[in-house]
Amino acid sequence: MAGTELQILKGITLEIKSGESVAIVGASGSGKSTLLGLLAGLDEASGGRVIIGDTDLGELDEDGRALFRGRHVGFVFQSFQLLPALTALENVMLPLELQGQARAGELAETFLARVGLGPRMSHYPRQLSGGEQQRVAIARAFAAHPSILFADEPTGNLDTRTGGHIIDLLFELNREEGTTLVLVTHDQQLADRCQRRFCLEAGELVVE
Amino acid sequence: MSITAGKMLARDWRGGELGVLLLALILAVGVVSGISAFATRLQNALIQESHRFLAADLVVRSSREMPQGWLEQAGEDGIEQALTLVFPSMVYAGNESMQLVSVKAVSDNYPLRGSLTYSEQPFGSVLPAADGPAPGQVWLESRLFPLLDIAIGDKVFVGDAEFTVAAAARTEPDQAATFSGYGPRLLMHYEDIPATGVVQPGSRVEYRQLYAATSDALETYRQWLQPQLQDGQRLLDVSEGQPGIGSALQRAERFLLLAGSLGVVLAGVAVALAARRFSERHNDYVAIMKSLGATAARVNRLYGSSLLLLGGVATAIGCFLGWGIQAVFFQLFGDQLPVQPGPSGIRPYAIGAATSLTCLLCFAWPPLRRLSLASPLRVLRRDTPMENRRTLGDYALGLAAVTLLMWGYSQDWQLTLAVLAGLAITVLLGLVLALTLLRGGRLAGMRAGSIWRLALAGLQRRGTSNAMQVVIFAMAIMLLLMLVLVRTSLIDDWQTQLPEGTPNHFMINIGPEDVQPVDQMLRAQDIASEALYPMIRGRIMGVNGEELPQTDDREEGRRQRETNFTWSDTLPPGNKLFAGQWWQAQTEDAVVSVEREFAERLGVSVGDTLMFLVGSEPLEARVTSLRELDWQSMRPNFFLVFPPRVLAPYPATFMTSFFLGPDDKAFLNQFVRSFPTVTVIEMDVVVEQIRTIVGQVSSAIELVLAVILAAGSLVLVAGVQASVDARMHESAILRALGARRSLVLGGLFIEFAAMGLFAGLLATVAAEFSVYVLQEWVMDMRYAPSPGVWPLGIGAGVVLIAGLGVFSCRKVVSSPPVALLREL
Repeated sequence: MAGTELQILKGITLEIKSGESVAIVGASGSGKSTLLGLLAGLDEASGGRVIIGDTDLGELDEDGRALFRGRHVGFVFQSFQLLPALTALENVMLPLELQGQARAGELAETFLARVGLGPRMSHYPRQLSGGEQQRVAIARAFAAHPSILFADEPTGNLDTRTGGHIIDLLFELNREEGTTLVLVTHDQQLADRCQRRFCLEAGELVVE
Repeated sequence: MSITAGKMLARDWRGGELGVLLLALILAVGVVSGISAFATRLQNALIQESHRFLAADLVVRSSREMPQGWLEQAGEDGIEQALTLVFPSMVYAGNESMQLVSVKAVSDNYPLRGSLTYSEQPFGSVLPAADGPAPGQVWLESRLFPLLDIAIGDKVFVGDAEFTVAAAARTEPDQAATFSGYGPRLLMHYEDIPATGVVQPGSRVEYRQLYAATSDALETYRQWLQPQLQDGQRLLDVSEGQPGIGSALQRAERFLLLAGSLGVVLAGVAVALAARRFSERHNDYVAIMKSLGATAARVNRLYGSSLLLLGGVATAIGCFLGWGIQAVFFQLFGDQLPVQPGPSGIRPYAIGAATSLTCLLCFAWPPLRRLSLASPLRVLRRDTPMENRRTLGDYALGLAAVTLLMWGYSQDWQLTLAVLAGLAITVLLGLVLALTLLRGGRLAGMRAGSIWRLALAGLQRRGTSNAMQVVIFAMAIMLLLMLVLVRTSLIDDWQTQLPEGTPNHFMINIGPEDVQPVDQMLRAQDIASEALYPMIRGRIMGVNGEELPQTDDREEGRRQRETNFTWSDTLPPGNKLFAGQWWQAQTEDAVVSVEREFAERLGVSVGDTLMFLVGSEPLEARVTSLRELDWQSMRPNFFLVFPPRVLAPYPATFMTSFFLGPDDKAFLNQFVRSFPTVTVIEMDVVVEQIRTIVGQVSSAIELVLAVILAAGSLVLVAGVQASVDARMHESAILRALGARRSLVLGGLFIEFAAMGLFAGLLATVAAEFSVYVLQEWVMDMRYAPSPGVWPLGIGAGVVLIAGLGVFSCRKVVSSPPVALLREL
């Protein structure tokens, strides 16, 4: 970067307990997504450590992190990130298949039914509304029984009403499954529904 | 894994992303297997054709009777055999008329290859014969009937034996090889030779033993026979001079191989482009899969097996297409091919499969392999860089693959290097020119109107990738132009070689006293003929005072040989002076002009002195020039030409060639009655056959050209598609900001047209250069610049690329911008 190193995150220390729901809030460009990428093992930190359970993510290579993500981590993204060539059911089956789950189809059907998409399982993403696509993404995230779920602005692409429904669904499933939830948002109301909040400002953690 | 390669391919197929990749692979396999199957079958046909001209697979020729043991050994080896004997003799009819004929005695099995024809009446309709004449019978050439004033069923004598004239002899497969120039043909049975009593030791005769069998059995027999041959005994096989058809077909075969090689290169480029786009489009998929826990190995396995599956499907369809292509070729040839095409075997399809595998490994796999390096972070941040940069290694691998494929396919370094040189010129010139011109675009664009400004700004912004695209377009257009140019000159070359009205009859043995009357008769009938050439039979005895070895019939090197001389004060038409100088008219110097290849065989050049024997008279002459001849011209051609005064003391006969249409053949009857001593050789069937085959081969070439054009268009489509996503994105934003339809489309049109213009220009320069190299060094043809190719190349570049570009981007003005922006 033109000779000078850009430090995005500075001196962040935070601990999230198992089963807890946590919000990371902050303005655009404050480093939320970068932090999420590091916490979820999607990215490598240039310094510092990320430890989930007994695993130090910094000690794993990309393949190791991929296996770790497959086993322990679930994602819900702002832009849904469904594979357009797969049906709703196939999208939910994907992480299960990657883990070699024998009953992937059955499990996926159960979760799609739980998010209320039982009748639309064979539809492709382009045939679904934004809210429906996000529900598929939520079903996909929970179907693999992750111990920790990362949600990146899950309502960012949805209208307020649909967004509200999606958040209800997310928290409901989270409770039922006992998953740790890390939610990145700039929506204060959404953040308020979490047990704890961290605020990022220009890459630094500000105590709330 | 249950997210299988097959499932993924099926989904991608629905998404329309595999089309170009699959089509490119299918075309590569189809072109390669089709053309090589065609070439293989044609080659087999040519070998059969050559066998036909020998009437056997293998022949031993001798001036003495050959050991019976050879035939017995061949019989034990399961080899078919036949015997022929050719000698000059007189034939007497009961009414005291007689005629010098060339007798050919043939055994029961003759011919072993090809077929003998006869007619029930002289000059009647030609019928295939199951066997030659039975013992006690003869067949006479049609013109002998009027000469001897006899009819079918009459009796004639050869030596002491009496025969019944059973039919008119028409053609023998080995007619050309056993033509002796002694007069019209008389065919009789081999068993009747002793009864005639005319074949005595020392007679001028030619014995032939004919053999036919599978190539293995024949090879064993040849090994056994070779060491036993003595002086004057010679083995003849397919390498014996092939007639004109052979060379036309061989040149066509080379063209087809060239076309096939270019097809492979084009398809390879299309595969590479399509795979790159496929991989770009899959970058996000891989990021999602990786975020969900897929490892790099898993991604590689998935895409690797997809590629293998795709390769399998493409190979199967491609082989089927190849089979279809060669079947259509032979359909085109129809019954015109003189023999049945041989089997192609499995090899062409194996070559097709190998091509597919090479294309996949070297062109498609590198961009797909890098997919496994895609960062999962792209699920959070779309601006994370894609792992699709091409490395130097990729280009090196691609170049190696292109070289390997072209060489493996054509087995011809010259051809491969000629094409590679053209490609290299395109790339180098392309990068320099494209970068310069594209940079120049900015200055011009500042002052232009808004469509121009938009287009030129676009060209500028994507400078490097546009330059790459221009090079790819130029490569495709260059290869196509090259093919069009070579094809045009090839077909022109054939047509000038054997134009309508090519001489198709030869007349030899015209006595000096008949020269005037023959000439007058031809003129009276309005028959176009070549000049009458004097012909003197003589023998070359030595070079520069040193005697050449005598009759070593086995080697074609330096030896004494008998040939025909002619005289002329001017360079005969169709001859080209290769070295030295032509003599002054009326010269009395003992000089001679020698045909170039003949001189090479004798090992003489300008300035050497040759010693001849004409009749029993010795003659010495200094070589003053070497000439090149066109042996396919059907004109009288001579190895040795002397000044008229040098040959004046020796007895000469004359020869000429002329054209006679099928409706004028009756003239021959009248002619042979008027000039009984003149021998007429009818070549019309052969000339017509060559012309027809050349026509068919031309059609085959046009067909191949069409297939290769399809491969070329595919490269253009793949190339345009590669940049469509980025252009659509920008155009969609422009539309969202309220740009008019005409502004967006006009801008795109100008941008693509400019790229087409550069590409066409480059392609034309490089194509001219490659064609020059190809024609001068590879195809053995003369290069001539083709001014017509400039507007063609540049025009095609502009129209095709602008058309394809605007067509591919048309969605941008017909769909709502929001939908597009969401999709891209």
